Amino acid sequence: MTQHGEAVEPVAVTGRVHWIGAFDPKMRTFDVILKTPNGTTYNAYLVRGSDGVAVIDTVKAETADQFFARLEAVASYDEIKVIVLNHLEPDHSGALPELMRRAPQATLYISEAAQLMLKALLNNSDIAYTPVTTNDRVSLGDRTLRFLNTPYLHWPDTQCTYLEEEGVLFSGDVFGCHYCDEQLFNDCVGDFRFSFEYYYSHIMRPFKHYVLSALELIEPLQIKLIAPTHGPILRDHPRHYVERYREMSTPRLHLGIDHDVKTMIIFYISSYGNTMHMAEAIRDGAAEVGGFRISLYDLEGGEVEPFVDLVEEADAILVGSPTINGDAVKPVWDLLSSFAKINVKGKVAGAFGSYGWSGEAVRMVEDRLRGLKMRVPAGGLRIKLIPSEDELETCRDYGRDIGSFLMGKPRAREIDMSQLSAS
Amino acid sequence: MAKAKVKFADVNVTVTVPVGTRIIEISEKVGSYIAYNCREGDCGSCLFTVLDGAGNLSKPSALEKATLFAHFQEVLDGWRGAGDIESLQAMMRRENFAGKECRLACQTQVFGDATVAPL
Repeated sequence: MTQHGEAVEPVAVTGRVHWIGAFDPKMRTFDVILKTPNGTTYNAYLVRGSDGVAVIDTVKAETADQFFARLEAVASYDEIKVIVLNHLEPDHSGALPELMRRAPQATLYISEAAQLMLKALLNNSDIAYTPVTTNDRVSLGDRTLRFLNTPYLHWPDTQCTYLEEEGVLFSGDVFGCHYCDEQLFNDCVGDFRFSFEYYYSHIMRPFKHYVLSALELIEPLQIKLIAPTHGPILRDHPRHYVERYREMSTPRLHLGIDHDVKTMIIFYISSYGNTMHMAEAIRDGAAEVGGFRISLYDLEGGEVEPFVDLVEEADAILVGSPTINGDAVKPVWDLLSSFAKINVKGKVAGAFGSYGWSGEAVRMVEDRLRGLKMRVPAGGLRIKLIPSEDELETCRDYGRDIGSFLMGKPRAREIDMSQLSAS
Repeated sequence: MAKAKVKFADVNVTVTVPVGTRIIEISEKVGSYIAYNCREGDCGSCLFTVLDGAGNLSKPSALEKATLFAHFQEVLDGWRGAGDIESLQAMMRRENFAGKECRLACQTQVFGDATVAPL
């Protein structure tokens, strides 16, 4: 029985495919970072061919009883010829060791990148497997599974499996969402659009360019139904979800006129206007270089989320913070901690700020930017209290430095290593 | 202490460093786009090109030679797991640079003036 008191039964998805997953309606926070207001599902599937049965993905260990009960209702263990794990995260591999114990004759198929994870995740070096990649096929007689290597959606190991004769795409976490509704099909469940978008923005968004690569493999397929590992099974307008992924993963800013023009954003927050004056002088210096767009934003005047959207599409990001009690201020850290939701690697970055006593903030922000593998071409700029006219000129020059770098014409500089190490 | 000058061509920065400094100790701090990961000579992420002064750098250790060899081997044999586009592109770039002096930034020490750049 489930927690809703209903019978644990498999659900027919097509004539040859059954859903044998698990409902977890009490889940409230997933993977630390995701809210799940009505829980989630762990979707596993069973495919029956004329020459054997395949199990696609398993469930979280705590819900394994549901999985095995549903599996036993549609197949016996000795019929299982193939086990596919599209993604090795524990919520999908949790029942794997027990499944392999019950079906020792089955062959496990995983992506090449999954090999290293398998041992670390299961603490079992004895599990035999066959690594597969794009266009490798496994026959179940009159049904054929074809693999698509779709890495980094959202782990290095992720792949999709396509059931050719039925047009069913077992997509793993791609096109999934945390939404628990026992009606299971997207045309029967409640409105889950918020959950679909939320899942994408927290799980897939940092890997947008990998999403676009995966879509190159997925879009040409004849898709009648998408069977993800979480949330509703997408049988009504499955293409819509593919199109939505394409839309959400395509850069939004660099379209149409001037699509090559670069963008610099200067964020600042200021207690007495000093860091603000630095920000304005840096902007003025950068503007002298010209050829790119510059925007100046006071962090006090906006919410983090829209700023993160701007950062995602920007080429250079400068962050100005005063130092208070030896640290950068909270709005700055709120912004910087949100950079993990997007891909900022390789963007040009820099830090600046006015300070009263010690001025640690600039170095700390700079370290964070470097830690995110952003490129910090010029050392952070710190000015004690109110910037003098000379110091404002230093700010303008810093702006020229970053601007020139952004435009691919870095100004020649000669420095001593001791200047770099100072922190 | 003896000093040497290393120029990072992509950022146009010349840094005066104590002899014996490793490239990776400087590259990250000047914003040069020499990538890195393990910093132990194993992963090969920090491959860079020597544009000038190759003789002023430390000779590759057995570890560095092995890692460089493994990478070029992969390029030459083709790489079956090339679903990762970034990796594939990186390898293609390396192939184009196969004739040039490539080193690992985490292993290479500076003994005299040199000019370096990302791949």
